[in-house]
Amino acid sequence: MRPWKEGDLNPSQERAVLNAGSSFVIACPGSGKTRTLTYKIIDALAKIDSHRKFIIAITYTNRAADEICDRIEALGIDTSQLWIGTIHSFCLEWILKPYAIYIDELKYGYRVINSHDSEKILTEICGNFKSPNISYWDCGYHFNKTGYVLHTNHGHKVAPVKEALESYFSLLRDRNQIDFELILYYAYHILNKNTATTRILASMIPLFLVDEYQDTKEIQYEILALIMKARPHDVNAFFVGDPNQAIYQSLGGFAMEPRAFASLSCVKFDQFELELNYRSSSKIIDYFSRFSVTKSKITSASEHRDYPSVISFNTDISKDLLEEEIVRAIQVNIEKHSIDPSEICILAPWWVQLASMTRRLVARLPQYPFDGPGTIPFARDPDNFWYKVSKIVLTEPSPKLYIRRVRWANDVINDLECAGILFKDIDAKRFLRISNSIELSESNGLTFLEKYFDRLFCILGLRISESEFLSEHYQSFFDSSRERIERLKREGLDFIDDTDNFKNVFKPRSGITVSSIHGIKGAEFDAVIAYALLEDMVPHFSDSNGQENANRMLYVIGSRARKNLFLFSETGRVNGFGKEYIPTRQLERHSYQYDTY
Amino acid sequence: MYISKLSLRNYRNFLNAKLCFNEGINTIVGENGSGKTNVFRAIRLLLDDNLLRYSYKLDENDFNRGLLDWRGHWIIISLEFSDISEHEEIQALFLHGLAAQEEDSVRVATYNLIFRPSIEIRSKLSSLKRGDKPGLLSILEDITIDDYETLFTGKSEADFNDDKTYKSIVGDFETVDFPEEIDNRAVGLKIPHQLSISKEISFTFTKALRDVVTDFQNNRTNPLLRLLKSKSDEVDPKKLSPIVEMVVDLNQSIEELEDVQSVRNDIRSTIKDTVGETYSPKSISIRSGLSSEADELFQSLKLFIGESGDDYEGAIHELSLGGANLIYLTLKLLEFKYIKARNSIANFLLIEEPEAHIHTHIQKTLFEKIDYGDTQIIYSTHSTHISEVSNISSVNVLGREKNVCTAFSPSNGLAPIEIRNLQRYLDAVRSTLLFAKSVLLVEGDAEEILIPVLVKTIIGVSLDELGISLINIRSTGFENVARIFHSERVRKKCTIITDLDSSPIDTNPSIEDGDALSKKKARFLRSQEKGQERRQRLEDFAKGNPWVDIELAKHTFEIDFIISGNAYEVIETLPDIYTDKATIERVKDELNSGDISIIGPRVLTMANNKGKGWFAISLSEHVTQDTYLPNYIASAIFNTSPELSRAVITDICSYRTSFFEVNSSTDECRRVIDLFLNEKVDLDYLKKTISEELEDDHFNEILSFINI
Repeated sequence: MRPWKEGDLNPSQERAVLNAGSSFVIACPGSGKTRTLTYKIIDALAKIDSHRKFIIAITYTNRAADEICDRIEALGIDTSQLWIGTIHSFCLEWILKPYAIYIDELKYGYRVINSHDSEKILTEICGNFKSPNISYWDCGYHFNKTGYVLHTNHGHKVAPVKEALESYFSLLRDRNQIDFELILYYAYHILNKNTATTRILASMIPLFLVDEYQDTKEIQYEILALIMKARPHDVNAFFVGDPNQAIYQSLGGFAMEPRAFASLSCVKFDQFELELNYRSSSKIIDYFSRFSVTKSKITSASEHRDYPSVISFNTDISKDLLEEEIVRAIQVNIEKHSIDPSEICILAPWWVQLASMTRRLVARLPQYPFDGPGTIPFARDPDNFWYKVSKIVLTEPSPKLYIRRVRWANDVINDLECAGILFKDIDAKRFLRISNSIELSESNGLTFLEKYFDRLFCILGLRISESEFLSEHYQSFFDSSRERIERLKREGLDFIDDTDNFKNVFKPRSGITVSSIHGIKGAEFDAVIAYALLEDMVPHFSDSNGQENANRMLYVIGSRARKNLFLFSETGRVNGFGKEYIPTRQLERHSYQYDTY
Repeated sequence: MYISKLSLRNYRNFLNAKLCFNEGINTIVGENGSGKTNVFRAIRLLLDDNLLRYSYKLDENDFNRGLLDWRGHWIIISLEFSDISEHEEIQALFLHGLAAQEEDSVRVATYNLIFRPSIEIRSKLSSLKRGDKPGLLSILEDITIDDYETLFTGKSEADFNDDKTYKSIVGDFETVDFPEEIDNRAVGLKIPHQLSISKEISFTFTKALRDVVTDFQNNRTNPLLRLLKSKSDEVDPKKLSPIVEMVVDLNQSIEELEDVQSVRNDIRSTIKDTVGETYSPKSISIRSGLSSEADELFQSLKLFIGESGDDYEGAIHELSLGGANLIYLTLKLLEFKYIKARNSIANFLLIEEPEAHIHTHIQKTLFEKIDYGDTQIIYSTHSTHISEVSNISSVNVLGREKNVCTAFSPSNGLAPIEIRNLQRYLDAVRSTLLFAKSVLLVEGDAEEILIPVLVKTIIGVSLDELGISLINIRSTGFENVARIFHSERVRKKCTIITDLDSSPIDTNPSIEDGDALSKKKARFLRSQEKGQERRQRLEDFAKGNPWVDIELAKHTFEIDFIISGNAYEVIETLPDIYTDKATIERVKDELNSGDISIIGPRVLTMANNKGKGWFAISLSEHVTQDTYLPNYIASAIFNTSPELSRAVITDICSYRTSFFEVNSSTDECRRVIDLFLNEKVDLDYLKKTISEELEDDHFNEILSFINI
């Protein structure tokens, strides 16, 4: 029996869900990818026949994991045999935690450092390098199975960056620390070295689900393949994604060909396509399809199918008048097209452009709230213990958030137990009760959190300073938050450190969203306004596969919109050498009858 | 998969103990109070789901008293599982949490209960400067049992029985040297929350004084119901439906019985008469409650058993206690067979003292024939009979060592052929050997008969009181048995008493020798050479083993006995051996001659003539307090005895003193003996006093062997 109702899934979604073997599902934008994944999980959970098996779902972000978990739990389904999270969390929980003792570098324990910590360390190391000067930003890297791959494409920097990374790695080794990339590196090596481990894991995991597979790195594919290969007849995989939206190529993410992964994992794959778009008008679909790199047929099944979309592209506006024009575009959408402010999104390629724009828009349109990346006042490090606690502290108890807060509380308790901190008879509900009972009036956000944490742990009978784990995370959380707030204040966001501002972070979206192109993954809006669509920004000047990736970014931008799309390649922006940027070439390549508004 | 090792550290009466187990059936042998129940409790803490949750919180009484001060110490209970494979899907989750692995395969799995001070205390200890005794004391002073935490871990490869390992993890309280690392990974990794051991295995524990009848009456514990329950889910509905119909009919017929109806009517009218129509219930009926559901129907099934041959089958409560227990164990074993089909990795059955209720020869068959794959049985016993069936390599002996309970594995580290030989010898003498506190091994009947009599009569204390078991090997193959006394096996004293067989006569051939003498010389020479070889062999064997000693009679037991000054006793036996008066007189002269070349051959002739055993019996009847105890025997006794306390020495001295006429000398001796008992004077002073006050050569010689 299917655990869902007739009509919950369309026929192609259902075919993919019911496929007994392994599947690659290519899902066009708005095709109900998360829904399909969710039902596949439900189906797999229903088919589990032993308490010894676990379904593993790998999502790109913790937010996506939360969302899928919410949906499944809302259906009253027992999720004790579902594990869901990012690939990094998977590697930590299932590979490093139980098997790191078999790797010499890790057997005496290790601590995961966040990007803030590694930025600090690398910046310090880079300070020793002169001619050429190198910075943290040059030191981007990821691992593949043979070694690390540098992200820089400045030939003359390769040698010093390599040297810097070598001392970075050896420093981490001395301190028993690993960063996010090293998690993957060690996970791969544990599996590659100990085939017994792969056999054990393969026996426990009948199904891997991978969301957004187009952003998966080679080493991540290799990790999954090593496990699957151990029992190719017993382990299945379900990959969902869209090769056209693979915008993380510069970080190593790519959509592996099903055939290539099949030969890597020794598992046969069936392919499915979800071609019904439930999101956008036919006009929007027709437009963003022009930027597809991999050809795919998309049909609109949206309620807005026949919406008379406005699609505009402005290459004449100067950067000084841009703000005015964006204000006008926002007002047109809200006033003329009756679009709610929370359904509008403003996109730009780089974070620096967004910060100042957000600031000015907030000043220009005081009647509308804004939710932007620049306005998150503390370090968003989902694996930091205190970030996890702050999620509970900064949200109000409400029936809607109850399941989620219980889950967060369980995470916190689990971390405490794993850190070996004595924890007497505390369950998630009790933890929440204690947390909810604390009342504090403090207008400074960071001070608020400090006081709250102290009070909370005092009631729990734990002293933060006595645990290495708690105090290291504490230091890291507050240091990076302070730095971030200072940076934001320098950019003029004076009230950023208000407690109310802190609390807004976890509130459901209510204002106009401001985001980088890369940060908008998976979201959708009635109207999308994108600017700074300039060659060397879209694509990034350092991208060796720039033209193809520019198409992918434009595809992502366009496919976020349900109704209207406003694109700007403003004039007058100059690069570091004083040269003016020109509009993104791939945008200009297409002749299209743009609308005015 | 089976439990291959249990390590205990500081738990109850075990300061440090290691028990090894094999697949199949294992025996834990030990006298009362040696800790059998605690061994079982330790295993149950890790595996028994029926043990209540609060038991995991140990308390100060769970610490071994030998620690003097438990504060700061850890209790570690560690189980090791062997015969595991990562190829077996069913074991995957178990291995994920517990297995330690090498390159390409898993080796063993460990599951540990760690009871240790909280991280707060551990970090305080860790920051102590080396040697800072006052600092340590001030930390320990404040520790209460509430500062302790219980941790379950897997994957540990540490040898917790090794003192160095323990100190490297916990710290050294003597030298105040605590590890820097507060979270040493050697204790293993926390069990992942996905894993619950009790879901992976099935475990049953059977108490010593189990009230089996009550268990049969209780629905939850009735093993028959558990078996039926697992079957009732599988009953074919087609076969069940006619039964259900019959049940419905049956219920109806009962309800319709006239007598039942009249009771109903009477109830109804009585209520009406008492409380009146208004307050009476609206309707009353009597219904037959035989259920028509399969599982409930099955619950009404009961076991009837015919114990005797008279065709009568009785319910469980009519059975003899032994019979009921036998049935109970059998059903439990069957349950395992059923559970196996339901995917449990392994079955463990712990039985406490089965001899309490089941006749030993039934047990013998029961345990010999059990053969369910993946079922491991561990039972404890103090019955000597039941330990006979089990394989020596599956036996753990619990015993005391310097007042601390510990466990011995008699066959640890022995080669298969050595185990086979040991097993053969043990069949006869096993029980004594396994329960002994110390052991004297002798080669024949003569020693077996005479030595206990000599000891009891001469020093007034029996071998039992000295904690010595004397075992007759009936050959000179001592090594086969002595092998179990070893630092890695049974750590108890064992002394081998044997003959060096030096010839009592000159064996150099002479041309004057007649035929008979030549043969005699050759015979003595051969024995002498063999004796030398034996000595060499045994000395090589015992070399470097602090637990095994060798004591040699220079010639043979009989010769050494007589030349120790015991011609009188031998002469007393002459009438038992010779009838001819003249012969008796001649032999008497020979025995009194003081010439070993005459005495030796003569006493041997006598012994051989009558049979060594019978000769020893004859001799034993003439042993008195004035008989001399041959030195090599005295040395063996006093070097072996583990119970040579002041009290025992006092007994010996008082006994000897009692043979003297009371005078000032004996008074002085008694006074000093008393002081010695009360630890006012030392042994040397006691020895000096007795040698000065009493002219008792025997005793002074014996005294010289006594040391504490």
